[in-house]
Amino acid sequence: MNGKKSTTIRSSGALKGVRVIDLTRVWAGPLGTRILGDFGAEVIKVSDPRLPADRMGGLYGKLNRNKSSLGLRLDTEVGRRIFLELVTISDVVIENFRPRVMPNLNLTYDEIMKANPSIVMCAMPGYGAEGPYAEFPAFGSTAEAASGVVSMLGYTTDRPIQTGMSYADPVSGLNSVGVVMTYLRRSRATGKGQYIDLALADSPVCMIGEYLVANSAISHLPTERGNEHPDHAPHGVNRADGDDNWVAISVTTNDEWQALCSVIGGDRLSDSRFSTQDGRKRFEEDIDAVISDWAKSRDTVSIMTQLQEAGVRAGRVSNNQELLNDPHLAANDFFADIDEGENGLKRYDGQSIRGNILDKSEWKAGPILGQDSKHVLVNLLGYSEADCAALAIDGTSVFNDESSTQR
Amino acid sequence: MPNPTKNRERQADDLPLSGLEVVEVAQGVAGPFCGRLLAALGANVIKVERPPKGDWSRKIAPFLSDDNHPESSALYLYNNTGKKSVLIDWETESGIDTLTSLVSKADVLIEDWDVNYRESAGLSTEKFNSENPGLVEICVTPFGLSGPYARWKSTPIVQLALGGYLSIMGYPSKEPLMLPGHQPDYLAGLNAHNAVQMALFERDIDGLGQFVEVTMLETLTNLHQIALEMDGAVRVRNGHRQSSLSRRGFPPGVSTLPADDGYVTFGGGSVAIWEQLCLMLGRRDLSENLDLDNLDEIAELRGEVDEIMTEWMKGRTREEVFLDASRNWMLPVAPIMELHEVLADPQFNQRGLFQDIHHPVAGTAKYPTLPFVTSDPLQEFKRAPLLGEHTEEILGR
Repeated sequence: MNGKKSTTIRSSGALKGVRVIDLTRVWAGPLGTRILGDFGAEVIKVSDPRLPADRMGGLYGKLNRNKSSLGLRLDTEVGRRIFLELVTISDVVIENFRPRVMPNLNLTYDEIMKANPSIVMCAMPGYGAEGPYAEFPAFGSTAEAASGVVSMLGYTTDRPIQTGMSYADPVSGLNSVGVVMTYLRRSRATGKGQYIDLALADSPVCMIGEYLVANSAISHLPTERGNEHPDHAPHGVNRADGDDNWVAISVTTNDEWQALCSVIGGDRLSDSRFSTQDGRKRFEEDIDAVISDWAKSRDTVSIMTQLQEAGVRAGRVSNNQELLNDPHLAANDFFADIDEGENGLKRYDGQSIRGNILDKSEWKAGPILGQDSKHVLVNLLGYSEADCAALAIDGTSVFNDESSTQR
Repeated sequence: MPNPTKNRERQADDLPLSGLEVVEVAQGVAGPFCGRLLAALGANVIKVERPPKGDWSRKIAPFLSDDNHPESSALYLYNNTGKKSVLIDWETESGIDTLTSLVSKADVLIEDWDVNYRESAGLSTEKFNSENPGLVEICVTPFGLSGPYARWKSTPIVQLALGGYLSIMGYPSKEPLMLPGHQPDYLAGLNAHNAVQMALFERDIDGLGQFVEVTMLETLTNLHQIALEMDGAVRVRNGHRQSSLSRRGFPPGVSTLPADDGYVTFGGGSVAIWEQLCLMLGRRDLSENLDLDNLDEIAELRGEVDEIMTEWMKGRTREEVFLDASRNWMLPVAPIMELHEVLADPQFNQRGLFQDIHHPVAGTAKYPTLPFVTSDPLQEFKRAPLLGEHTEEILGR
């Protein structure tokens, strides 16, 4: 692991000693529990033992590192009993099923709270536990549409288009961490648990709050799309040298404008029409044409670096491979090289929260399904090896690591 | 189950963050959004603004009053609900003393001072923590305090470019597109809130605070839907269709297409959803005849399926498609909602997602509250403060 050693007496992540039961799938939920795991929480991913066990690397590796895996059927009486035993020794339960699933398993918050009144339970359904859309299926890609964000995304005079990145998922995943931590702290202080209903579709709504506030108060407020800024110019992307290379440039003050002029040089920008913010906004297209001529034969990194060093806000449009090789991220020890056994060492994005609360030295690869079943059942819940054998035979659990009890 | 309709009645003293003292000098969106969350959960958040004009977001459109009054910026009003505003010019000697004294009694300091500003103002990262060892100081900046970009400046479009989001939004034949508004700032604000909670959790155990950093660039990089390595592939923008997560790409029908009154997004990715979609379209033959291992065939069929779906939606509104697909076919489908429709949506409103808040200058508007409901009721949201409204109350002058 490439993590820097913590410099304080605190030798491990902030959440050491916190146990989280992770019933989530897909993206938003696993991201939230992964973040808790990054900070040292013991995240036990509970999965149906009948699922295939061979997933490693890629998005699975990214979203499931720092978790252990318990194979457990929740739809049998024995499996349910084991689950509730695990609840009694855990702090947090997170799930993102449709609302009817947990009640169908007789695992409502009331049942879970009976097992452990201090438990913080976070449900992450698409539209919320109740209401007219409660049982509708939702993905990050559809929840972003319902939230209004997508109505503001598109080319200026064209149709709306989707983000392509299922924006509701990461936003909801980030939200789950903050709210779970809030109530976990209170649970630790008072012994009082909490049920949280965090809807996938609600999260992106809160990311465009200013536009919703304005729309509620002002009628006929136009929807803004495209890369243009309502007040500032230039503001957008310019094609650079190469096949599909672009640089974003944004000028917000007169000083920045002067700096841009000095970098580009020549006399085409020293036009009195461009000397004020209003003038630049009005003649934005003329300015963009000059910048495009200048940028088209230059490479993105040199454009961005030259402009930033002169004091102009600029950034190249990085793709995923360029991000992975970004010198700034590397200099800040952002990446995590995770040993995935047969896969070898794989490089992932690390944690975006810096500080002594983070300790990457103990980070581990995403689990194979059932690799920690024995550890959980024997070491945490007190079952015998013979019990485990019986649970394997009747299919309640699955065991994919013979050495797991020695960990 | 939480009852959102009775959900905003709680007294301030039994909220989860009751008693938490927060000082916020951060401006704009990222830091203030973090402060807004803390205030909503019960913290006492003192927003320190520099005279004469205060937070720069007060100057940003859209404004709720006709005369663009700085007390009516929607951006400021939204991000500063439930806070108190104190005027302190911390760039003067007496001002920094006043701020230091305020922070010496606080649990959390939210700031956004980058390297350039720290040097010019003489603000070290140890300054406040050395006098108040229990202090959690969260520093939210575009690029952080170290590394080759540390002195660079940013805006949302620059951040979205460097963070890899622009590269996947828009049509491949056209320029990349930015997400609307201030998304890098909001995302960093959520992350800052998470960082504060982590640091407070540790402080609960040993009493010690710390300096924690959140950067926008790392926040964005952390939230891609793929492992960046992606087996060596480059993720490209895909227009109205979902961007691929691998070389394989999605099955057909994962797309945003027109209904009679606007557009509808069809989610998907699995074979089961693709087959279910074909059933809904009355075109079982499509899924039966498609070899999902033949990537060229899938690519060819994507355009054809878009046309079939567009034809199928003729004569149907977004709502009709949404309700039919969701209720009867259990497909992940949603209309692209306009902002006024979001505000009127029955689901969001039943959950109490919006609240009417009155402001003496800006008037009454509908504000998004929090994206969750809880078994214990939350408090009612309070309006953003006027510039310096609480200076006398808090500083006694």
